Amino acid sequence: MSKKSKSTKGFRGTESELVSMTSDLDQLHHDVGMPAMEAGVSEMIEHMGEAPGPKSNSRRTFLIGTGAAFAGGAALLAMGAAPSLAAAASRADGSASRLHSLDAAFPPANLKGDLAVAAVAASLENLAVFAYTAGLSAATAGKLGTVPPAVAQFATTVKGQHTQHAAAWNSVLAGAGKQKVTVTYPPLTPTIQADFAKVTDITGLAQLALTLETVAAQTYQAETSMLKSSAAIGLSSSIQPVEMQHIAILYYVLGEYPGAQTSAGTPVAFNPTNQAV
Amino acid sequence: MSSDPRALNELLEESQDLQADALRPTHEALDELVELNHSPNDEDHASNQAFHVEHQDRLRASLGATTLLGAAGGAALVGLLASPAFASSSSDVQILQTANSIENLAISTYKTALTLPYIGGSAANPVVTKFCQVTMGQHMQHDDAFSAAVKQLGGKAQNASDPAFVPVVNKAVKSITAATPSAGALQVVALALELENIAAETYVKDTVLAKSTTNKALFASIMGIEAQHASVLLAVQALLQAGAPQLISLAPGTAAMLPAAAGSVGFPNAFYKTNQAAPAGQGAVK
Repeated sequence: MSKKSKSTKGFRGTESELVSMTSDLDQLHHDVGMPAMEAGVSEMIEHMGEAPGPKSNSRRTFLIGTGAAFAGGAALLAMGAAPSLAAAASRADGSASRLHSLDAAFPPANLKGDLAVAAVAASLENLAVFAYTAGLSAATAGKLGTVPPAVAQFATTVKGQHTQHAAAWNSVLAGAGKQKVTVTYPPLTPTIQADFAKVTDITGLAQLALTLETVAAQTYQAETSMLKSSAAIGLSSSIQPVEMQHIAILYYVLGEYPGAQTSAGTPVAFNPTNQAV
Repeated sequence: MSSDPRALNELLEESQDLQADALRPTHEALDELVELNHSPNDEDHASNQAFHVEHQDRLRASLGATTLLGAAGGAALVGLLASPAFASSSSDVQILQTANSIENLAISTYKTALTLPYIGGSAANPVVTKFCQVTMGQHMQHDDAFSAAVKQLGGKAQNASDPAFVPVVNKAVKSITAATPSAGALQVVALALELENIAAETYVKDTVLAKSTTNKALFASIMGIEAQHASVLLAVQALLQAGAPQLISLAPGTAAMLPAAAGSVGFPNAFYKTNQAAPAGQGAVK
């Protein structure tokens, strides 16, 4: 198949079918996915309370945590392009791992083990929410040129899923009596801000999103063999494949093979972790 | 990417080289895995068993809503739950053998699909053909990795397909071969989608069940790849159902023509489910 010679025709099918399908899936998500998340998070809280503090696996506690996390998301949006915890580190060598070691202030010192991982995960999710929010705002303002409807739908839906991921990790922290994480991951924030400032079109935005999704997916993957609590592993493992799905569709939108691949575009059967934080 | 078969072969060869490179650290770590699995860890075992039982309760409760293949796995699960031997035999070897059996089924399914003119022949969409070829190759690599891990533990690799799913796949294949190209293509996609979801969901679950960190890492490196296969199949399915097969394309400008819903159909849940996961011992060597 040649990308250059292959012509395509405009969509002539029944979009209502696609809309209906998406609606069904969304319903399924709320019927099945959210209850599963609640159960998983409740169990995780039960297993992760390594420090004194209110421990509860009740639905009420979960909902409080989720609501607060959404409030945190709002605070994040209010911060706009200047997250308060942005670190001085840059990503000159492209090594996210190195950057992580440069910032000793995050995660907070009072978080150990799985709870420290939860804080990092929440901050990475916040960073993704920030990036998609900024991207959607720029698109709405006409700064990125013509925005395909599928791309807008992608960004809106993915932003929602990252918000839910952040809420899940923050529920874990809140359930263990710890403060929720409302900042974006400090070591990467300056880089993402700088990269976003250079974005002038949808392709650039998609490539930035690809970087963020890759970092998130690989981080969750690496965490799988580092986390101690089975419930924490379960939560992390339930999110990693979703980030990978975001990656697949981003590649498709960019006109590249829709799956994990090398920088040369060769598909890989085993996802690497060299970009994990 | 190109439609040139030589380019595709080069791509596949390169992918195989990369696989060898990727597997090297896995093989090195397998020694550690063997050591770990030979030393009992009661705490981990108890924790994993508790999670396993809780998870299976949830799985059993959801069986009524599962699709055919999920139901096949679930039916076998109910039998296993009733077996006293199962509680004490959920080892990494069994988990890996079950993974073997799922990969074997996926490989044979894609192999069969590629013999169909509208999937692997001249009448096929080249993107779909390439996807099936690359995906089949990746399942072969996954199978090899699981086999190597089993052998390192002193076990025997499972060379057969998951017995709970084989009859359902055979029935689907029979229906596909009798269908028209357009109907057959949709059935192939639906079958592949179900297999990919079973694989992904099983490996998500296995990251919790596996005792060794090496096996956890192996499952984690594969689960997302299978989820990506599912994501692509969901998008392809939606475009076929909408009568827009021409948009199954990687040509420049395609994204601008996609309907809005195509932007989200590939990731229906914020958290990957496990209700269709195969029980740990379902594909184990008996």
